[in-house]
Amino acid sequence: MTPSLEARSLVKRFGALTVTDSLSIGFERGARHAVIGPNGAGKTTLFNLLAGALRPDAGQVLLEGEDVTAAGPDARARTGLSRSFQRNNPFPDMTVAENLETALAIAGGVGRVFWRGFGHYRSLAEKAREIAGSVGLNMVGDTIVRQLSYGMQRQLEIGLALAAAPKVLLLDEPTAGMSPEETEAMRHLIAGLPRSITVVLIEHDMDVVFGIADRITVLDQGRVLLTGAPEKVRDSAIVRERYMGSGG
Amino acid sequence: MTLRLVTLAVLIVAAGASWAFSGFFGKDLLTEIAILAIFAMSLDLLAGYTGMVSLGHAAFFGVGAYGMAAAGSLLGLGGLPAMAVAVAAAMALALIVGVFVVRLKGVFFIMITLAVGQMVHAWVFRSEALGGDDGMGGIIRPDLGTIGLVLDDPADFALFALVLAFLSFLALDLVARSPFGRLLTAIHQSESRARALGCPVERYKLGAYVIAAAFAGLAGALAAQRDYFVSPEFLTWTVSGEVLIVVIVGGMGSLLGPVIGAAVVTLLKHQLSDVTTYWMFFLGLFFVLVVMFADRGLYGALRRLKRRREAAT
Repeated sequence: MTPSLEARSLVKRFGALTVTDSLSIGFERGARHAVIGPNGAGKTTLFNLLAGALRPDAGQVLLEGEDVTAAGPDARARTGLSRSFQRNNPFPDMTVAENLETALAIAGGVGRVFWRGFGHYRSLAEKAREIAGSVGLNMVGDTIVRQLSYGMQRQLEIGLALAAAPKVLLLDEPTAGMSPEETEAMRHLIAGLPRSITVVLIEHDMDVVFGIADRITVLDQGRVLLTGAPEKVRDSAIVRERYMGSGG
Repeated sequence: MTLRLVTLAVLIVAAGASWAFSGFFGKDLLTEIAILAIFAMSLDLLAGYTGMVSLGHAAFFGVGAYGMAAAGSLLGLGGLPAMAVAVAAAMALALIVGVFVVRLKGVFFIMITLAVGQMVHAWVFRSEALGGDDGMGGIIRPDLGTIGLVLDDPADFALFALVLAFLSFLALDLVARSPFGRLLTAIHQSESRARALGCPVERYKLGAYVIAAAFAGLAGALAAQRDYFVSPEFLTWTVSGEVLIVVIVGGMGSLLGPVIGAAVVTLLKHQLSDVTTYWMFFLGLFFVLVVMFADRGLYGALRRLKRRREAAT
């Protein structure tokens, strides 16, 4: 079976530094695939290459079997690749509901309508409420996002990514900076995502990783050190030594 | 009632009353305000809503003005077709220029729009067909005799300009409230997020750029009719700077703010220049004060005033 998302021999250099070093990786349909590795292993660069925010110096990215290496992030999003950001990146001066409605408008392709008020599209508001509920933000729909707590903004990150109705969801450290309670809620939220979505996850919190992932890839210096089931990774000597040894 | 509706109603009543009770000079001022309001609203769609702060908006104003003049005196078109040509010419230029400039951001966008504005100015300045630095006359105002307007009469022309300003507001307000306008705001607030959601950001910016140019071109066409004359002065970079100041003073991203800004700046300019030869100094001082003390301009100040009122009751 073709993987949902695949990288083939990706290379990315920043000056003399090779951040992604002929890296190949496949994400199976419906997988919960975590990418872990020490800081500087090239996780976020890999994400940006997969999402199209960066262009590789060599190699290919395939989405549902199709070569999307030349496609920008917007084109990839339209073919079903959605991402969250490591740093909260919502539309800060809109309400939660407006954020989600806007995301839905983009995904639904109504954005080019300029002759009719936004309010005409009632179904968007309904769908936005649904998504707000699914990420635990149903009580704050009318709050300006700037005034939301950090953790809630983090939840909105997932909501926005979900609004694009993705086939593949890239989550960049969804629990970064969250309190233990918020982290637990986020773990629950991600675990509850429909299995039709392939979830690729960068995460530092090992409880979250081992609680969610059914497959784990360990990156080190821009290369895949190891890919396998969680037990295999947990038991791997090299991972223990290189990564999890230090209080992980 | 919302602040927006109240402000709109006040502006319409004020415009109507000044039109009814003013003499020749007052009506000329009203025309000037209406034209500047259209021009400023068009820039607001770019700068206020989309976050594309342009310092070359005079290019489209000027092309509209010259389009009006050229369509009349070189192509022999009537007033209304000439206006259509003027608007189309501004849109065509925006489409060509836009393909390149929408890729740039921030200070680079400001510089490239400034440069393009200067290029258009230089070209018109040298063009013999367009009269070079002597400018061009022979502009005809539209014939609206069928609806009882004689536009060569200053009162009727002021009314024409005011109605067009009002229609421009309605059109731009609809664009701003539409899904397209929402996406422009979204791009302004987080371009990378809009892109990650699947929005082809450059195409939307190009759309905004062309729409803004259309209304700037309309303002230019009216300005040409007002003076029956166009000159490269219409295209100087200070014209771009002034309209940007009007938008900032009035309040970016509100459309009504720029209308207020157009009225206040025009009136201040005329009143101050009557009183003192240092009027530019005092006008500058006023700008500085507004920018320092009124976040989001005069309309923003109104909004805060209303909120404080509501909090007090």
